[in-house]
Amino acid sequence: MNNTITTNVIRYILLFLAQVLIFKQITFSLGGIAYIHFIIYPLAILLMPVKTPKAVLLLSAFIMGLSLDMFYDSVGIHAASLVFTAYIRNIIIAFLEPFDSYNTDDVPNIKTFGLGWFISYISICLLIHIFVYFSIDAFSYVYFFEIFLNTIFSFIVSFLVILITQFIFRTKY
Amino acid sequence: MYNVIQLFVKYGGHILFVILEIICFSLIINYNKAQKDIFLNSSNVLAAKVAEQESKILHFTTLSLQNDSLMRENSTLIENLIAIEYSSEIIPGADSLYTRYSLIPASICNSTVHLRNNHFTLCKGSREGIKPEMGVISSHKGLVGIVRNVSDNFAHVMSILHSQTRISCAIKSRQGHGSLVWRDMDPLRMTLEAIPKHEKIAIGDTVITSGYSTLFPRGIQVGKIEKFSVKPGNNSYDITVRLFNDLTNIKYAYVIQNRFGDEQTKLEKEVDNE
Repeated sequence: MNNTITTNVIRYILLFLAQVLIFKQITFSLGGIAYIHFIIYPLAILLMPVKTPKAVLLLSAFIMGLSLDMFYDSVGIHAASLVFTAYIRNIIIAFLEPFDSYNTDDVPNIKTFGLGWFISYISICLLIHIFVYFSIDAFSYVYFFEIFLNTIFSFIVSFLVILITQFIFRTKY
Repeated sequence: MYNVIQLFVKYGGHILFVILEIICFSLIINYNKAQKDIFLNSSNVLAAKVAEQESKILHFTTLSLQNDSLMRENSTLIENLIAIEYSSEIIPGADSLYTRYSLIPASICNSTVHLRNNHFTLCKGSREGIKPEMGVISSHKGLVGIVRNVSDNFAHVMSILHSQTRISCAIKSRQGHGSLVWRDMDPLRMTLEAIPKHEKIAIGDTVITSGYSTLFPRGIQVGKIEKFSVKPGNNSYDITVRLFNDLTNIKYAYVIQNRFGDEQTKLEKEVDNE
């Protein structure tokens, strides 16, 4: 149990630093407008153990979001979208529940549930997160086209990066 | 009290979620300018679209008014172009503002183009100063016809697409002049006759009015030479001119008023009578 918390805290901090120090700098522009953003920080929330208390999820998402917003100069936008993702996470985990239910200390990663489960879990959550993030960023569905393009392109690159990190860092918890 | 605690235990996650989201959104709206603007004027994006559509429709209703004013503006511009053509002939001491030609803008009520002898009807008549034997042009580039009859409110124009059309024309920056006739049934092409074959011409030359008649001032562009040939035993070129204007779809025209036209014809008639 202690190990789980330590791993999660370290992962939380590392993902935050990686997002702020590395992935924030990388934006590719396509046709004059930057559509490609790397958004990998939701992984910190998504990889927490299945039975993590909701309050812990939401509060850690809120803190992560607010700290990201300090670096992105966008007060509340990351926080709002990440809190939403943290909230929706459990619903999606319940939706993807395998036949033999979840154990108390199950960690939603490739090792526990297999690649197929992990891909569908991460892609659904990440897509929702990125879509919500860009919607809040634009704040109006007049910009639906931009939101749509941003979501699609950012989702593809972020998802690839997340998969690669999962193959490189095979954590137990 | 127990119930309230029970509620929090049961739905704590959801309540926390809602509270956190409310905090986030209040932060977003208070500290981000773009989002604040959209939030405060959320209707603005929508209202702007509605207003845009509205102005488009309203714009449409004033189209004819704007068209009229543009026509008037155009007519003064063309008058100036014609005046420049004659600028070297202004008699010193005469009022320099006194132009020899002035234009009357008019819209076309009725027109034919596919007959052998075509006509136009203008929606302006003698009340606006239109008289028979006035030239009609569609712009500084393109002839329309010659006024034949006028009533109070309408004018009947013989189109240049008419078997009896003979308009004195010249070729820009070349010598000689000939007359423009309509031989084939093609509303885009006319024939320029009687340019002597010793003159040098080339395909692509601009055909302009010569100004020898009282109808059209000098220098109105008519069309471009598309091809030319000399028929055996003939002393002049047979030139096909492609017109600049498409008479099949014109809606507006300008009637040319020649202030000295009467004087010129009267003088020429006197000589004839002698």
